[in-house]
Amino acid sequence: MGSAGGTIAPDRILHDMADLWVSLGKEGEGDAGVLRACSMTLVVAAEESDDAQAIGETLAALMPEHPSRAIVIRFRAEDRRGLAARVFAQCWMPFGHRQQICCEQIEITASDASVPDLEAVVLPLTVPDLPVILWCRSPRLFELPAFSELAAIAQKVVLDSAAFADPAAALGVMNSAASAGRSLADLSWTRLTRWRELIAQIFENRAQLANLPLVSHILIAHRAAATPATAYYLAAWLLDGLAQVGAHPRVEFRSDGGEPAWRLSLVELSAQGRPDAIASIALTEGAAAEVKAGGLVSKALLPALNDYALMREELSIPGRDPAFERALAGAAKLALS
Amino acid sequence: MSLENPFQDPLRFERRVPECAMVIFGANGDLTKRKLLPALYRLAYERRLDAGFAVLGISRTPMSDDEFREKMLASVKEFLEDSPFDTDVWAAFAQGIFYMAGNFDDGALFPALDARLKEINAARHTGGNVLFYLSAQPSQYIPIAQGIAAANVGKAESGWRRIVIEKPFGHDLASARTLSNELHSAFQESEVYRIDHYLGKETVQNILALRFGNGIFEPLWNRRYVNHVQITAAESIGVEGRGAYYQEAGALRDMIQNHLSQVLATIAMEPSATFRPDSVRDERSKLLRSIRVMKPDEVLRNTVSGQYGPAHIGGEDVPGFRQEQGVKPEAQTDTYAAVTFLVDNWRWAGVPFYLRSGKRLPKRVTEIAIQFNAAPLAIFNGDETTTAPNLLILRIQPEEGISLKFLSKRPGAGMKLRPVSMDFNYGSSFGERSPSAYETLLLDAIIGDATLYTRQDMVEASWAVVDAIQHVWDETKFDFPNYGAGTWGPKASDDMLARRGHVWRQP
Repeated sequence: MGSAGGTIAPDRILHDMADLWVSLGKEGEGDAGVLRACSMTLVVAAEESDDAQAIGETLAALMPEHPSRAIVIRFRAEDRRGLAARVFAQCWMPFGHRQQICCEQIEITASDASVPDLEAVVLPLTVPDLPVILWCRSPRLFELPAFSELAAIAQKVVLDSAAFADPAAALGVMNSAASAGRSLADLSWTRLTRWRELIAQIFENRAQLANLPLVSHILIAHRAAATPATAYYLAAWLLDGLAQVGAHPRVEFRSDGGEPAWRLSLVELSAQGRPDAIASIALTEGAAAEVKAGGLVSKALLPALNDYALMREELSIPGRDPAFERALAGAAKLALS
Repeated sequence: MSLENPFQDPLRFERRVPECAMVIFGANGDLTKRKLLPALYRLAYERRLDAGFAVLGISRTPMSDDEFREKMLASVKEFLEDSPFDTDVWAAFAQGIFYMAGNFDDGALFPALDARLKEINAARHTGGNVLFYLSAQPSQYIPIAQGIAAANVGKAESGWRRIVIEKPFGHDLASARTLSNELHSAFQESEVYRIDHYLGKETVQNILALRFGNGIFEPLWNRRYVNHVQITAAESIGVEGRGAYYQEAGALRDMIQNHLSQVLATIAMEPSATFRPDSVRDERSKLLRSIRVMKPDEVLRNTVSGQYGPAHIGGEDVPGFRQEQGVKPEAQTDTYAAVTFLVDNWRWAGVPFYLRSGKRLPKRVTEIAIQFNAAPLAIFNGDETTTAPNLLILRIQPEEGISLKFLSKRPGAGMKLRPVSMDFNYGSSFGERSPSAYETLLLDAIIGDATLYTRQDMVEASWAVVDAIQHVWDETKFDFPNYGAGTWGPKASDDMLARRGHVWRQP
């Protein structure tokens, strides 16, 4: 169902999709047929060199929970204008059920020179009345001047600052875009959810909460040579929360080395004059973390999250995320100071 | 001014869970092993519990803390469903598990319990918060409540105290009131959490989302458009060794008085002004009080009592109820109950609500079927399928989901209609593991959210309705058995619906 030549017509793609549903319906066994599900349009912008199979597997994994019309745009660094498209379906049969559930997928190949043409192609392909999320997998694409027109279609643009060469610069670029009104998400922030939730849970206990205004020092250890965006985000989020209880601690970043670079290995909140930290979370082996607070030690699992797990979380928040926006502003300030 | 945790992020984090200790009376029993500990471990695995969360188990059997931990470890490994086991998480969670042996009739147990709770509070910073859980035999509820009251363990110097009790909440209206009075000697009604695990099921909660989160259903949700409602809770198994208990209870008391009445209340209640626990429970309670209490001469026309007989199913002989272990050969117990309830309010006047529950029915299924009135005029020629009524099916188990059946034109020439189904499947649409009912309800009790728990006035309202039926049944000699195992119940049940021109839907 590919479109020939260097241009594509959205009407033709929509027609191809209608045909696809008819043929899927005919293939369906008996009266059960197929069930079409859609809760959003998910546009994926990726380099042509990006692992197509991995993207496909991630989308397939996301579909049961976030059934979407997926539009995957693969970019070629080429000056000649050129676009091509094909449509197909992702189907799955829930265990023990008779009916297949299917989502549609459109794959578009575009040269860099065609980026200005994309808005007119993608806009008619989005599903009416449902949110549009743009997942930009390449920093290069985000920085293409014409990319902002494509991004304007989306309610939210998901990036990964860990893919940028310079984390501090990435935070600056993203903060500028956010300040200009763009709704963004950063998978580096998403990676912190479990860390943040553990910290929040520690201070649900009133005995621990009473210590919070005493925090005078925050230590965040990481594995990268340069401080990663995750560390800046966590520091900014902690500072924001602590300011609300009247604490204004000093932040120390420490590199412990290791892989992956963005991964944190320790966060510790301490108070002047106290030998023991008020609270600490330290990665031990593998995905395990040791949580210490108030003399109690507990274990938690902090698995490294893959693209599927990160996107699964982000897609469940189609609107703005005020906590992230505050953390981004704070992180950019810390990184660029 | 008290400090607020500044790190909460409701958009991404699960609900906030305060520190607390949980005391389980009947810690060596089946419910603790099969449901409570696996649910608590799962909550710990999901990082939903405070790091200092503690469990203090109490039962008669002498055991050390370590022996109890070993026992609970074995139970968690055996009964943990749909979830991985992690040794490190268990090791940290198990540090907070304690045990004390004692007889619930022994007054000395409760001061000792108080002392133990103080130790645990000091060691694990539980903030003086205690959740008592009665997982013991119902006959022991009152001695436990009296012991707690006498030792004043139900009153907190700091923090809160709550008590969760399992059904049955009495065996009739009078005994339910006695139980409540005893509980109230140690706890305020707002501190009593009567658990009905049906209300913890995702789909039952989803009824509220469907009704009050959408605008399109509310205008249809009344006597003008709804023809009747069928609520079915069928089990394919028999009494499975619980014959002695079950012959004193029966399907009417065991299912309809509590689970199905609560489901009915959720389906039929008026919209709540807010989603605060008492606001929702007020509406449920009002609905239960609106169910018409049958007069004795109405009972036999509007109810059906049944008991299964022996049968041969799938190449296997299955015993009748009277042949089950521990059951008297002349038992008059209802293993099947069907009732027609009428709700006397403006919304539902004249709409029958048919409830049925039984054992040894053809399959295990719980669902609610809302049948809408047929189109007022049949303009399409054809067979009866062209006038099939619209049905909204809410499936509670085993495949949680919602289906809407409506008519559609058959492709091709001519105007032939056929019914089609629009399905929403809870599991496959969200893909996430649904928490078990016990995970949901335990967390609610720790958080202090009683929305899904039953209040005393609701218990009394449903007993008032059921007592009126039970009194007539107790005085009637039924010709049991009256349905074969593996069938959909007695013929009288079909007749009951037929009198109003309805038929049971086959789930």
